[in-house]
Amino acid sequence: MFSFLSNFKHKQEMRESKDEIMIGELVLAMHHLGAPTIRLYADSGQQYISFKLVSDPILNSVTIILDRKTGGSALGEMLVGNKAVLTVQAEVKNYVADPDDLLQMYRTDLQNIFRVPLLGDIRLDHQLNSVMATKKLIIDIDQFIFSHENRLRLHRLLTNTLAELREALRKYKKTN
Amino acid sequence: MSEKLEQLDQVFVGLVKKSWQYHNEVIRNTYLDDMLVGAVIASTVEIGYSLIDLNSDGQNHYLRFEHLPTKVRVIFRLKNLAEDLLTAKVLGRHAQVIIGYGIMTPNFSSIWQTLKAEIKSSFLDTSEPGIITCDADITAGYIYAQVTLILNLDDYFKANFQIDQTLLQQHIQATLHSLEKYLRGRLQ
Repeated sequence: MFSFLSNFKHKQEMRESKDEIMIGELVLAMHHLGAPTIRLYADSGQQYISFKLVSDPILNSVTIILDRKTGGSALGEMLVGNKAVLTVQAEVKNYVADPDDLLQMYRTDLQNIFRVPLLGDIRLDHQLNSVMATKKLIIDIDQFIFSHENRLRLHRLLTNTLAELREALRKYKKTN
Repeated sequence: MSEKLEQLDQVFVGLVKKSWQYHNEVIRNTYLDDMLVGAVIASTVEIGYSLIDLNSDGQNHYLRFEHLPTKVRVIFRLKNLAEDLLTAKVLGRHAQVIIGYGIMTPNFSSIWQTLKAEIKSSFLDTSEPGIITCDADITAGYIYAQVTLILNLDDYFKANFQIDQTLLQQHIQATLHSLEKYLRGRLQ
């Protein structure tokens, strides 16, 4: 008789699984926004998931990092709830190859990002042909799991955050 | 002279574009592993289960879900059988998927001993697809019925990152239905 059950960590209480439950809800919410999962990494403290924004005119992908800060113990959960930092990083990818266009892009957009990396509470950054916008949110996990209303709240939070990041990145999208 | 240089620029642009095409084909195949994990999570959460555990050893991805009102658990082990592009192109994009359906049982020990005693043959190859076996999570007090399936990922994952989620969800539900029927029948 074979068993792969030993590969699962034994968690004493449902409280310990709340970040995984949140990940499940995030994956479903992004699926409803037309964004399949393309990368997934999880350890006991942090979870990273990347999604492909298939028909988005501006954004190529988005990476969501869930970093649970409190609620690991019953006392902690009672005192401060299940607080986590949700980092949402959206990416614009430009498939620009013409050396003239590349130079132009570097002199204008990318140098501006070096000078002013913050746009409100959104941070801008770039790597080669990608420009990224990042927003960090402090959330209470309990407000986004366990009910249909909470599921809708998560959907709204992601829709609004992606809209903000899309606007911040719109001017960096080049037509290929 | 400048026309000649412009032409060279265009040749370079063409080379980069082609490179992106080849690169994207490899990347898509690399993503397939995690796309499968994500699609299984979305499908199973959509039908009412909560993800309570996920981990990976690099090759195998383990997912555990619970239907919180009934405490029924569902487990998956997902393994992409065509991680490199060559295998995928020659043999197709297949994945070995083990799905388990688990019920928390009050008189767990005696039931598990009975079920275990029924498997007498050590030659039984439980890695063959379609064989329903029983297993137990002794710490949590769950008994599972589980089955191995080989799935063709091209049935679910189309070009340009499109996923046939309805089909995947139907296949998961059909498997869980059969496992539940078998397990509840055995426990009666």
